[in-house]
Amino acid sequence: MAMGLSLIFGVLEIVNFAHGEFYMLGAMIAYFLVARLHVGYWPMIAGVTLAVAALGVVLYEALLASVRGRSFERSILLTLGVSMVLQNGAIALWTTTPRMVETEYAYTNVTAGGIRIPLLRVFALALAAAAFAALFTVLHRTRIGKAMRGLAQNPDAALMVGIDPRAVSRLAGAIGIGLAGLAGAALAPIYSVHPTMGFAFVFKAFAVIIVGGLGDVRGAAIAAVALGVVESFVAGFFPLILVDAVAFVAMILFLLFRPAGLFGRGVRV
Amino acid sequence: MGRIDRRLPIALLLVWLGAVTPAGAQEPIHIGSSIPITGGVAFFGQHSRWGTELAIAEANAAGGVLGRKIEVNFQDNRCNPAEAVKSVTQMLGEKKYVAMLDGLCSGVVLAIMPLIERAQIPLVVANASATAVAEKSGAGGNKWTFKVNPTDASLAEAMVAWLAKEGKIANIAFLGEDTDFGRSGMLGFQSALGRRGQKLASTDFYQQGTADFTAVFTKLRAQKPASLALYAIAADFQNLIRQYHSFGVGIPLTGRVLSDQIPKEILASGALDGTSSVQPYTPEVETAGNKAFVAAFQKMHGNPPNLLSYMSYETTRVLLDAIKRAGKADPAAIRDALEKTKLSSLLGDEIEFDKNNLAHKNAVILTIKNGQIVVLGLSRT
Amino acid sequence: MTAAGRAARALGVSAAVLALLGPLLLPGEYPATLGISIATFAVLATGLNLVYGYTGLLSFAQVAFFGIGAYTSALLVVQRGWSLWVAFVAGGIVAALLGLVVAHASLRLSRHAFSIVSLSLALLCLIVARDWVSLTRGPMGLPGLPAPRLLVPGLGAVAVDRPGVFYGVVLAFAVVALAATHRLVHSRVGRALVAIKLNEALAQSHGVDPLRYRLLAIGVSALLTGMAGGLFVFHLTIVDPSIFDFYYTETMLIMVITGGPGSFWGVVGAAVVISALPDLLRFSTDLRMVLYGIVLIAAVLAFPGGVGGWIARRRLLRWRRALS
Repeated sequence: MAMGLSLIFGVLEIVNFAHGEFYMLGAMIAYFLVARLHVGYWPMIAGVTLAVAALGVVLYEALLASVRGRSFERSILLTLGVSMVLQNGAIALWTTTPRMVETEYAYTNVTAGGIRIPLLRVFALALAAAAFAALFTVLHRTRIGKAMRGLAQNPDAALMVGIDPRAVSRLAGAIGIGLAGLAGAALAPIYSVHPTMGFAFVFKAFAVIIVGGLGDVRGAAIAAVALGVVESFVAGFFPLILVDAVAFVAMILFLLFRPAGLFGRGVRV
Repeated sequence: MGRIDRRLPIALLLVWLGAVTPAGAQEPIHIGSSIPITGGVAFFGQHSRWGTELAIAEANAAGGVLGRKIEVNFQDNRCNPAEAVKSVTQMLGEKKYVAMLDGLCSGVVLAIMPLIERAQIPLVVANASATAVAEKSGAGGNKWTFKVNPTDASLAEAMVAWLAKEGKIANIAFLGEDTDFGRSGMLGFQSALGRRGQKLASTDFYQQGTADFTAVFTKLRAQKPASLALYAIAADFQNLIRQYHSFGVGIPLTGRVLSDQIPKEILASGALDGTSSVQPYTPEVETAGNKAFVAAFQKMHGNPPNLLSYMSYETTRVLLDAIKRAGKADPAAIRDALEKTKLSSLLGDEIEFDKNNLAHKNAVILTIKNGQIVVLGLSRT
Repeated sequence: MTAAGRAARALGVSAAVLALLGPLLLPGEYPATLGISIATFAVLATGLNLVYGYTGLLSFAQVAFFGIGAYTSALLVVQRGWSLWVAFVAGGIVAALLGLVVAHASLRLSRHAFSIVSLSLALLCLIVARDWVSLTRGPMGLPGLPAPRLLVPGLGAVAVDRPGVFYGVVLAFAVVALAATHRLVHSRVGRALVAIKLNEALAQSHGVDPLRYRLLAIGVSALLTGMAGGLFVFHLTIVDPSIFDFYYTETMLIMVITGGPGSFWGVVGAAVVISALPDLLRFSTDLRMVLYGIVLIAAVLAFPGGVGGWIARRRLLRWRRALS
């Protein structure tokens, strides 16, 4: 989730407030695939990711392409607008009733060292790891990935060496939003699915990408893991409500000591 | 000034049209309702709305009230007092509404109360649970506000009384939503336990919209309380119960366990056996009235009712009954009629308002045995 | 200015005065209620504009200042028995002090650190309001805030319990607050702020201390925002944690960006339109917020630089025409 946000920010310089809504859409599509069409777990994951990535292309072509570049503010407004339309449109269309995605693995557990872990969580973790590995490889090993990184670092120079900014940005948008969809698909069978589910995730995602360094995929992944560990540690020993404060305190502390993020390319806004 | 002259004939025409329309026989009776339709608690607003809509549809199908159709205008308040004040003032400004329904969130209802008092329009609350609403109503000052649902304190008292009888009030931990629902539930539990010389072993609150409860379950498992009082609702409850099951938490649950929203597979697994719960309502209650209600609700909205939709349904019935007894669609007459309400609820008890305009409806105590939900009985709140 | 221009201006001013007084003259409480909301948001948006538009610091903490002002003045009135007229100023001062402390700590790092810290501050305030139950009563809020009393010469103490009267009070506050901000941004200080925003190093070399000016902007903005919050909750008669609703932050951002950051009247105009917009859309219960989102997207596509940018471009064109 945070990786997608980070990618969009890094390449497109767009702060995507609608990211949580794409996560919600991913989960909703997952619900319809499983409950209505009785699609299995793995086809569902693939289908949802592709569908949401396609939505990402549509979003980019329809709206974001026009704000590419120096209009940071317009990107905030546009994505806020998209977020409102998607969230409230989902409420109007599908009602707010929380839904359960009952896949074939719903009640399967694996036991490791006396601790029961639901199989679906193992899958979700594996999917996140795989997505991270894939993204990392694409960014660092392929031509298109290099083009993306080039575009993020210096748009003008990238243009000069023959990178088509529009095509690359479109792809970055598709992958970034597709990752939100993947997160939705992987988590839909674990959590209940409802139109306002994306809201709470956005703050955490923001915290994670800031700690990790904006636009830095590796940093985002490590920050996400670290945040998860810190949160469960805090919840284990302190009142639960403090957990929500943790992300932000961690963020402040981090900025004090490493103003440039984990791997410090510098925070750019 | 020429413009006013031109408007005059039109105004006269309108007055004339108004005079010749058959004395309002076709004009519906308007009721307003400001509830959350967007935002984090839209789910509750949805169910409140569905409950009201069913009661209205039934009344209209039966020929309306006083021979007139009933129409409800639902307005969004995001559960935010600022939005509530705007939406209610707007409706009050239109002068056609004879009463207001619900509000849903306690903060919202408390903000609406001075408005409807000034406008002299009755407000019938279905779901706001804060005790302050009843404290300020009736003998408490605001003669225009009525509250049908029981307060959290009285529900907690009913639950703890049952637990005490079973000898299960020692070492109870508390886990609740960080809203007035969870907070006042915790206070209710704490004072009910306090009267019996016990206290809560621990208290935890989670933010509304939390998806993951792994950490708190790990902590509770290590702490080993005898039982866990749960105050959770909507999507959070479903997440909680699913994770409770998949992590094999195994601590008996009590409090406000929403028996009707437990997935069938988890219920049948027997993992929740020994759970006890207090609810203002549960669909499992075996009265003829309730069975008909559940069926009609399912048919109209494609979802089973929950306690919010039930409360709004009963509250709307209370209001319609008062309009009928008032004999005219006049706010003051409706208010007077509301005071004299005596209506049987679907659960078989009588709805009557006390001097604080608060109804003392029955609470349902239920338990889970062998993967089945068993209603233990009704207890007066 | 041409005679036609002067006439247009006079017409504009009288229309504005009429619009301001409208809620006092129109029947019913709704126009005044809407007026209170519009006047309050005009102050909030201008507060954000001062920090973001003129100073270039993206602050998410405006809602925190708003809520802190609200809680401070409500607590002082309810628990200490202060008069609201003193308490709401105190609310503004507390908000300003907090703003200065936070800004001083974070601005020494970077502008981005300030943005992030301001976001965290807003969320921490929400958590504190919810969980410091012994002070704020948590999610139960502080209901039943008493109507303030106003000493009117000749009438004695008048209870400000009607929205119409309350609108008068809020309007007076908003006019004073906006006038003060207007003066500030059009003074030497305002020009220094813009200079820092455009080129910090250059401004510094001209002897302008960026930190001092930025702190001034944040302090003034937090003061006015806090005071607005202190007044606003007495109109609602209740303050609860929803005063820190992220929705307010979104609304303020939308107002400043559609108005054009750094454009004083553009933002005020946008505040008026956008605080009325969700209410004008109340005809559709289900699609209200969807329509709001669509209007927002359409506005961004139609006015890339905000309304202020559009006005500035028009002015530029006019000058060019006049020159050629």
